[in-house]
Order: sequence, then C-alpha cells, then structure tokens
Amino acid sequence: MSGDLDLEQRYRRALRLLPGYYRDKWEEDMVAAFLDGWLTGDPDEDSVTMEYDRPSRREVMSVVGLAARLYLGGASAPRRYFAWGQAVRGAVLAVMLAHAVWGLGQLVLFARSRHLIGWLPPPPGGFWPALGYAVGYAWIVVFVALVLVDYRTARVIALLVTAADLATVLHAQLAGLLVSPFASWSYWVLLDLAPVLAMAAFHRDAPPVARRPWLLALPAWYLLVSAPVLAAELTGHSAWVPDVPGLCCLLVSLLCLAHAPRAWSGRGGTGVWSLTLVLLAAVAALDRITSLALYQQDPHLINVGLAELLILAVAVALVAPDAARAQAPVSAPPPHLRLG
Amino acid sequence: MTGQAFFVLTALADGPRHGYGIVSEVTELSQGRVKLKIGSLYGVLDRLSADGLIEPDREEAHDGRLRRYYRLTGDGRRALAEEADLRASTARVVRTRLGLTGPEATGAAG
Repeated sequence: MSGDLDLEQRYRRALRLLPGYYRDKWEEDMVAAFLDGWLTGDPDEDSVTMEYDRPSRREVMSVVGLAARLYLGGASAPRRYFAWGQAVRGAVLAVMLAHAVWGLGQLVLFARSRHLIGWLPPPPGGFWPALGYAVGYAWIVVFVALVLVDYRTARVIALLVTAADLATVLHAQLAGLLVSPFASWSYWVLLDLAPVLAMAAFHRDAPPVARRPWLLALPAWYLLVSAPVLAAELTGHSAWVPDVPGLCCLLVSLLCLAHAPRAWSGRGGTGVWSLTLVLLAAVAALDRITSLALYQQDPHLINVGLAELLILAVAVALVAPDAARAQAPVSAPPPHLRLG
Repeated sequence: MTGQAFFVLTALADGPRHGYGIVSEVTELSQGRVKLKIGSLYGVLDRLSADGLIEPDREEAHDGRLRRYYRLTGDGRRALAEEADLRASTARVVRTRLGLTGPEATGAAG
C-alpha cells in the first residue's frame, strides 16, 4: 500500500486542515461524499482505487479554501474565528491603506511632472519609474475596491501589482541596484505577497467594511502624515523625519496608545481591534527589523531603528492582553444539524 | 443568494439527496457548467443549514459509511421559489433588451 494510507485516510488527513468544531460536524459526511466520487461498486476496482488513488489537487485546494474561510470566519463563525477574521481583514485594509497613501504621493509627484504643482521636484523618467507610478495608482484602486466590497477586482489588481513589484525587485537585483537584496525581498514578501494572500479573509461571509471611516482615512493619512513628512524633507529637515518603516512603527504605537484606555476599560467588544493592532505591530516590527539591513554601515540609524522597535513593543504590550481575550475558547456551534 | 446556493437548493427541490448526489445533480442541472467541489459544497450546505433553508433527512449505510441525506425546509422551498421568480423575470428583461422575444425574434414578422 502506498504510504500505508488508503484513500479514505488520505481524505481524512486533508480534512485535518479544517477547524475541529467543523470536522466534528461534517467530516464523516465529507469523506463519504469524496469516496462516492471514486467508488464504482466493483470490489476489485474499488480495492485498487482505495489503495492507490489520491485526493486530486483541486479537491485539496477546495478544502484549503474552505479552511481559510472558516479560520478567518464571517459573522456566523464561532467567536474566536470571527475575531481572527476581522483582525486579518482590518490588518489587510491597513496595509492596503498604507500602499494607497503611497500611491497618492505618486499622484502628487505626477501632477508636479505635468506642471500642475510648482514647488515639488519632477519625478525621474523611464520604464521602471513609470511602472512604479502605475503600481502606486493601482494600490489606490485595490484599497477602494476592498472598501466597496468589490473583492474580485481588488484581488485581481492586487495580484497584478504584486507581480509588477516582483518584476521590479528582480530587475533591480539583476542590475545590481539593490542596496540590500534581503531588505527588498523581505519587503515584497511581507507587504505585497502576504497581504494579497490574506485577502482570502474577504470572502462572501465576511461582514462589509465600514466605508466612511476607511475612505476618509486615505486623505486624512496623506494630509496629516505624508504631506508634513514631504514638506520636512523638501525644506531640509529630513534628518528629523523617520524612514517609512520607522514611521509605521510610530503610527502603530500611537494607535495602540489611543486604543489602550478602551482595551483596559473592561467594557468588552474591543478585542478585535486589539488583535488587529497586534497583527499590525507584528508586520511593522518585521518590516523595521528587515529594513535595518539597509543601514549596516550606520550604527546611529540602527540605534534609531531599535528605539522605534522598543516603543512599538511597549505600546503593543498595552493592548496584547485584550487581544488574547478576543480569542476565548470556541463556543459550540448551534445544533442546527441534529437529525430528527 | 449565490449561484451555488441556488443550484444546491434546486438539486433538493424534488427530494432528499446525499452530498455526492447533490454534486452530480448540480452538474446535470447546469449542463456541466457548475462542478461543485466537495469543499465548496459543504461550505454552502453549512450556510444553508445555518439559515434554516435545508435540514438533515436521514442517514443510510453504504459500503460501511453513513450517507447523510438533506431536504429542503419550508423556508428553503419559499426562498428557492422567490429566487427562481427573480431570475426568471430578470431573464425575461434580458431577452427583451437583446431583442430575443417578440415577433421579430420568433420569426413571425418574416
């Protein structure tokens, strides 16, 4: 027998990807349905099938898709999985918002290149910079599509943008333009690929996003954070401005500090936001750590980066207990499938 | 109602079916255009049962395994009828706008 498992056991192994509460309810039924697709009723043929056949890749992928929808649950999911689903959706939106703000900055630079704004330096020309601008605009579309619940559009464009960024990093590496290949590839994995994969959390059971606050966040972030940073850089005060990973660490720290009083109030219902902030802090910290590779020759900037990480760690510690409470044990699902 | 949920409810409209029976019926109903994966089917069944549109009917032993059959509830029957009406009226509008109904389309004018 191949691998000492028969077809039924192979299906059961694939179904271990699903949460326990779901397997308790559906596993026997699913295994029977899978096997019904194979077995013919001829004992000899079925014996060979059971011994040598394996779940198809499509079947396994359908189980993976179901597992993603269940672990990153919608409104009808058990509390723990709903909390994770909402937190991942919030974190993905925040990362897309950051990309969109960057895209908005690209738009301003483009306006400058067309002499619509007089005091900004013109952007560089050429194919790769032009691709960079296109990617920036596309992130704005991805963010707005997610907020407007057009998940398919958001996913397709995000995949194209991620592929374009991959090509950009690859080209830069082959041309010897990367200061730190490790930092560039880490950025692509952490802030392009991972959030795009995590868009699996935006499935049909996911509750719609609160449109107004997220849409307002885009111009608000640009006007309150990006524009002052740009102004500081253009007026010769760039030494006071943190780099982008540092800025993200400080912004997430501020959000944690702002949320901490509610998280400690014991009123309940705050855990999802706390979990979202913990996820964002993890992303910001990883981005900060990997981007320090850019500053290997500058101990001062390494120390600044470590200080930013320390601030982030202290701030996230304030909301972490509340985030842990959001993952209380799974309550039993309603017994709507009882036979009777 | 999603297309998959519509097909699953339709597959149960003329009587209870087990999981693989639903998959086969949906393939036939859709003339091969919708091929439900088992993972997708149980996602749909879970949602429909949570919404009270289907319920378990019975279990039967088959080759040492239990097959569970599902049936429409009263709410499921009503929801399916409403969805069918909606889709039928939408289809009528589409056909009219494409000029596929009326004397010209049926050839009466020629």
